[in-house]
Amino acid sequence: MECRVLSIQSHVVRGYVGNKSASFPLQVSIVPRRLAAQYTRDYYVIVLDRLAGGERKGHMVLGFEVDSINSVQFSNHTGYSHWKGQVLTADELHVLYEGIKLNNVNHYDYVLTGYTRDTSFLEMVVDIVQELKRANPNLVYVCDPVLGDHGSMYVPQNLHPVYKNKVVPVADIITPNQFEAELLTGKNISTEKDAVEVMDLLHKMGPDTVVITSSDLPPRLGDRFLVSFGSQRILMPDGTRTTQRIRIEVPKVDAVFVGTGDLFAAMLLAWTHHYPTDLKTACEKTFSVMHHVIQRTISYAHEMAGPGRRPSPAQLELRMVQSKADIEDPAIVMEATVL
Amino acid sequence: MDCRVLSVQSHVVRGYVGNKSASFPLQVLGFEVDTINSVQFSNHTGYEHWKGQVLTADELQVLYEGIKLNNVNQYDYVLTGYTRDDSFLDMVVDIVQELKRANPNLVYVCDPVLGDNGAMYVPENLLPIYRDKVVPAADIITPNQFEAELLLEQKLKLSVVFQVMNLLHSMGPDTVVITSSELPSPLGDQYLVALGSQKRVTADGTMVTQQIRMDIPRVDAVFVGTGDLFAAMLLAWTHLHPNDLKMACEKTVSVIYHVIKRTITYAKEVAGPNRRPSPAQLELRMVQSKADIEDPAIVLNALVL
Repeated sequence: MECRVLSIQSHVVRGYVGNKSASFPLQVSIVPRRLAAQYTRDYYVIVLDRLAGGERKGHMVLGFEVDSINSVQFSNHTGYSHWKGQVLTADELHVLYEGIKLNNVNHYDYVLTGYTRDTSFLEMVVDIVQELKRANPNLVYVCDPVLGDHGSMYVPQNLHPVYKNKVVPVADIITPNQFEAELLTGKNISTEKDAVEVMDLLHKMGPDTVVITSSDLPPRLGDRFLVSFGSQRILMPDGTRTTQRIRIEVPKVDAVFVGTGDLFAAMLLAWTHHYPTDLKTACEKTFSVMHHVIQRTISYAHEMAGPGRRPSPAQLELRMVQSKADIEDPAIVMEATVL
Repeated sequence: MDCRVLSVQSHVVRGYVGNKSASFPLQVLGFEVDTINSVQFSNHTGYEHWKGQVLTADELQVLYEGIKLNNVNQYDYVLTGYTRDDSFLDMVVDIVQELKRANPNLVYVCDPVLGDNGAMYVPENLLPIYRDKVVPAADIITPNQFEAELLLEQKLKLSVVFQVMNLLHSMGPDTVVITSSELPSPLGDQYLVALGSQKRVTADGTMVTQQIRMDIPRVDAVFVGTGDLFAAMLLAWTHLHPNDLKMACEKTVSVIYHVIKRTITYAKEVAGPNRRPSPAQLELRMVQSKADIEDPAIVLNALVL
């Protein structure tokens, strides 16, 4: 059977953010067929048929089916000198969902959302997620609660209570950065212990899987790295709950990339699907994909810009299609520590 | 170096038509695909219900302006398909002409979607626009028999195949593929006939034309999005085999064949025995066909005429 994702994100004509950043990688990902016909994220799943040299292709389900609702259509992302385009209203979103529903095809395994600027749009997204969860109680909602970074919000302030009170409570996987995690919980992160407590607070709000995608805590590997954390609550077959927490240090890059957060959330969706009770491996794979795409992008950008010149936003667009092999089967280049 | 395509087609939330049908296969083959979505619908119009919004010609221009203001309006290919609005189509032509001024080597791949099986399924006033403005700006076109006949005001018959292809060339495009026709196939009536013709200038300056015919097994099902997939893959395979229309068509047709076969098998499986698959079940098995898209095994050969 297939695995279907509903992704509600921006569309840009040129470049890789929002749905442009999420769709292609999910479509080329390799999805293993599950043994159990029905499963929930709370139970151990025996995952069969890992891809091995192509001989088992007959048993594989290749690629996520990605249905995409484009929340905006812009010429390019807003980091360029200019951008132009149109936005989708909450009503128009509702109309599109109605079309899907009228055809009785409103059945999804995942919902994926990211950067949104409008409260009524966000509320409509929550309504849709709740209805889809009634249709499929096993649906997993992967939410990047995009609020801001480096100490300041870059969406309207009135989105904060909507995320906190409505969105995060229905999410199953969230990928806040440190600022967003602190904002949602009202607690600062100065130490690893703080990070663990904040992730526990986030679990209490709803999601069983939390990844703090970046923080400014001091890395053990030196200042060329940054520290990320993950936490996953799992219900064991005997009814007890256990929490796996990890810390992972990833190489810092001296450039501003756009669309990497969207790629991260999409790849975390894919790799937690592969490894539903092994956040360590899911994160190692996800962060490794990021690393390969970013490295390829930096090399290309510097080559295009020329020596001594800062690459432009156009030159820094993620080298997505060129990274297909790394997306399909990423070499693991960093190790997560289980806390 | 990057090969960048600007594709101006429909977007559907679910399923594979328009840009949804064209993007993934082109990206899998390594093309950079910039997409302007001419509409956003829940699904294609073969389902019982469909809902969504359309882009106006002005909104199309605004998006193009954004690209242009950033000085990134450089493309190697433009790809267009199904359009319903004459002013939108006019704007597309304006954009193509400007992009060709920016890059004279730009190749415009145009599926001149007008109708099929004897009837138009777009507004009639699009025909003169395709005939007088769009096709003259195009480099590769993929009409079906009905569309070729409409454009030329001439019927396609065995006795005039070469003339018809040459008349289409004289309208503008150096590469013409008539994607399906009711011409009789030597293999019998379970086959339809496709024709291709490519004019090119050889190294020593002479003009040569390669013409081919393919006999393609008919399938007993209605697919949506296969024409869009065909045009996208013809773009890719003529790019990779620029002087060999035979090879480009064999690969293109083979990809469609593999995708359709996988789709039919799946559709019948989910529909159950003796039930007609629904439009939802007949959506192309696109992501599952990745390997066939990347490296299609040739299953049909073209005959050089």
